Amino acid sequence: MKQYVLRRVLLAVPTLVLVSIIVFSMMRLMPGDVVLRMVEGHAYAPTVEALRKELGMDRPAHVQYLDWVGRIVTRGDFGTSYWTKQPIFDEFIARFPVTVELAVLTILVSVLVGILIGIVSAVRQDTASDYIGRVFAILALSVPYFGLAVLVVVLPAIYFKWTPVYTYVALTVDPLQNFKIMMVPALVFGVTRAGPIMRIMRSALLEVLRQDYIRTAWSKGLPERAVVLRHALKNAMIPVITLVGLQTPLYIGGSVIMESIFRLPGVGLFFFEALTRLDYPVVQSVNLIVAAMVVGLNLLIDLTYAFLDPRIRYH
Amino acid sequence: MVRRGLVPALCLLSILLAGAPPADAQTPKRGGVLRIADREAPNLDPHLAISFLTHSWANMIYSQLVRYPHGPEQKHPADFSIVPDLAERWDISPDGRVYTFHLRKGVRFHNKPPVNGREVTAEDAKYSMERFGQKSGFRARFDVIQAIEVVDRHTLRVSLKEPFAPFLNHLAAATYVAILPREVEEQFKDFNRPEAMIGSGPFMLKSYQKGVQIAFERNPNYYMKGQPYLDGVVIEITPDAAARLSLLRAGKVDMGHMWGYMVPEEAKSLKQTNPEMVMTPTMTVGSGKLYFRTDQPPFNDVRVRRAISLAIDRKGWNDALLFGEGCIDAGPVPCAMKDWQLPASQMDPAKAKYLVGYDPAEAKRLLKEAGYPNGFSTPMFHWPGYAPPWRTYYDLAADNLAKIGVTVEFKPEEYGKYISTTYLGKFEKMAMGPQAPGNDIDDWLYSCFYPEQPHNRSHVADAELNKMLVAQRRELDPKKRLAIVHDIQRHLADKAYYVYFPTPPQYITHAPQVKGFKHHDGFSLGQRLIFTWLDR
Repeated sequence: MKQYVLRRVLLAVPTLVLVSIIVFSMMRLMPGDVVLRMVEGHAYAPTVEALRKELGMDRPAHVQYLDWVGRIVTRGDFGTSYWTKQPIFDEFIARFPVTVELAVLTILVSVLVGILIGIVSAVRQDTASDYIGRVFAILALSVPYFGLAVLVVVLPAIYFKWTPVYTYVALTVDPLQNFKIMMVPALVFGVTRAGPIMRIMRSALLEVLRQDYIRTAWSKGLPERAVVLRHALKNAMIPVITLVGLQTPLYIGGSVIMESIFRLPGVGLFFFEALTRLDYPVVQSVNLIVAAMVVGLNLLIDLTYAFLDPRIRYH
Repeated sequence: MVRRGLVPALCLLSILLAGAPPADAQTPKRGGVLRIADREAPNLDPHLAISFLTHSWANMIYSQLVRYPHGPEQKHPADFSIVPDLAERWDISPDGRVYTFHLRKGVRFHNKPPVNGREVTAEDAKYSMERFGQKSGFRARFDVIQAIEVVDRHTLRVSLKEPFAPFLNHLAAATYVAILPREVEEQFKDFNRPEAMIGSGPFMLKSYQKGVQIAFERNPNYYMKGQPYLDGVVIEITPDAAARLSLLRAGKVDMGHMWGYMVPEEAKSLKQTNPEMVMTPTMTVGSGKLYFRTDQPPFNDVRVRRAISLAIDRKGWNDALLFGEGCIDAGPVPCAMKDWQLPASQMDPAKAKYLVGYDPAEAKRLLKEAGYPNGFSTPMFHWPGYAPPWRTYYDLAADNLAKIGVTVEFKPEEYGKYISTTYLGKFEKMAMGPQAPGNDIDDWLYSCFYPEQPHNRSHVADAELNKMLVAQRRELDPKKRLAIVHDIQRHLADKAYYVYFPTPPQYITHAPQVKGFKHHDGFSLGQRLIFTWLDR
């Protein structure tokens, strides 16, 4: 087990190096010049050159890359935003709880809704409830969350002079108000992400329900509740957990849009603004931090398999 | 008898009372907090950032030496005349090179450490101008300054290398020299943090939650006694445009944009759901144009450029897209700059037709004469993300040009690329988009037509024009300068270096309780809110 974790952690190093190279190069390959963007069209030559030098962009690309990575590795310094002139890591840490809270609530909603409908659909296969559940799943899969979010913000404002957009209050300051603020984005985002979970849950459960040990459980005279929830569900959860793990980057990626629409001061908004402003260090560092987190989270998910299915061993 | 007399007397009294004028509805009331939904400024230091958002926020906090007129002081939204701010008066030497500013006495910075409400002096003005000259992205504009000297505690002398008519205008723009206290920089290194936002402006910073909200409160010691009327202003940071509009619709904010901007289509839709909203259609300083590589074929031939201009059906665009409310008289000087614009009707009609006329037949004839009997094809670089009506404008331009045989090949660009290349004149053949280079007439003429200037997108190099462009920026007599500016417009009328489109109005929109809010085309948010009040 220890060896397995160590191996995975070591494997994460080349992954992160690759991510850093890709992100660094992608930013440079993006059309546009951040310096010219910063002077907003008022490009008086001496200003542009001085600014380029000040930002260290007059150096060759590989020097800039090594400088960026070197600072992270040696000093844990993720750099400073070109625009806000604030340290990136401080800003990331300040905003991270908002994104995590949104992601956790979204996962909760999507898992609860997805699993619940998935179970009903599987247990009542080919009945009206199954068909309704499957229609819901297809609908959730086909409606983009950002489209739904805009509708949820705009339509009530037009018809009821009300909109679920609030001034953000931190969880630690006023948990009730915070829940009121986070509920709508989490519901919108969670429900649209519940579609794939429901489908996987349904097919996994159907497969498990046909296994011999389930037949044994039935023949022992166990009630349906015990057979499904205690014996079948645990094994059927493995692909669902894998899917939630795979969807994690989507929750982070989706937060970019959701935070912008619902006025949530999270990492997504920070990243989105940096991207539109070509704020290279912010985009690079946030990407790298998120990539490291996704790698870590996937390791964690792999480790939970053993808990769910004792037959799984790590070597 | 007494009773008989009492009844008519009471009647008379009641009539008098009923007829007495109510407390004037337009008399400003003190108090209330104005709520605005808008985007977040990327940085708080007015000299380090070039973003208009930063300058709008900074304008709440800081004063300047001089400013533009606002509210009841302004003649129209593009009134860029100069009124006193910290400098109560100024003298200009006969040769136009030395400006002596006499500062108001007793104006104090906000009462916050480390400044603690000390008096604003000429030293502060000198420090701020020098800091701007060293650090701002706009510093090249102050290259004309030769020396800044403090004559005494309340007198500042600025010497220029040569007479420069736009100088006071640049000082009045919120984009340039905010007057900052030196000790703040000594303590905090820069002004890019909430605790460093200490100025002598109409509002003080109350709180700032990054990504959430910035709150300002009235400066009780502001030098304009009794103003501002508002107790405070809160900007609810809302990056998404649909969310901003929803907040306005739901009554959670009083304004959905710092300046109340709303395009006509959006405003008309809002009026249907919220008829109580106050909307003032306003022509704002801006310009939409086709621009060309006039240094390369085919656009180095004036006949080709004239043909392009004659192909544009400006009236048709205005009627179809702008509800007939746009300005079709757009030229090198924007319609909103009433003090400087020479209307096409006052020009030689034979020349003016190449500026505002519509004649596809004549356009085809000109193309044939220029050696393009079957027309030609050209790329058109542009950024598709501009607000309406731009996307339709691109299509209409292509459609109008197709009618004279010019095939347009759309070249949409990502914003980062567009703003750093096409926007600055780095493109091939032809491009299209809006432009707003600045507040002074010099920005619209010298910057857009003088060789090597960043806003000279059409690569204009016209020796005769150059002389006039330089002359207007050296002429300090307003009447003489205006005459040169009119001559420039007459000269440009038939050159078609740029082809101009109808200018759409902005609907300045706010909730009915907002009073006294008048649009001004500077970035001066604080100054326009000096005169704004709430009738709740």
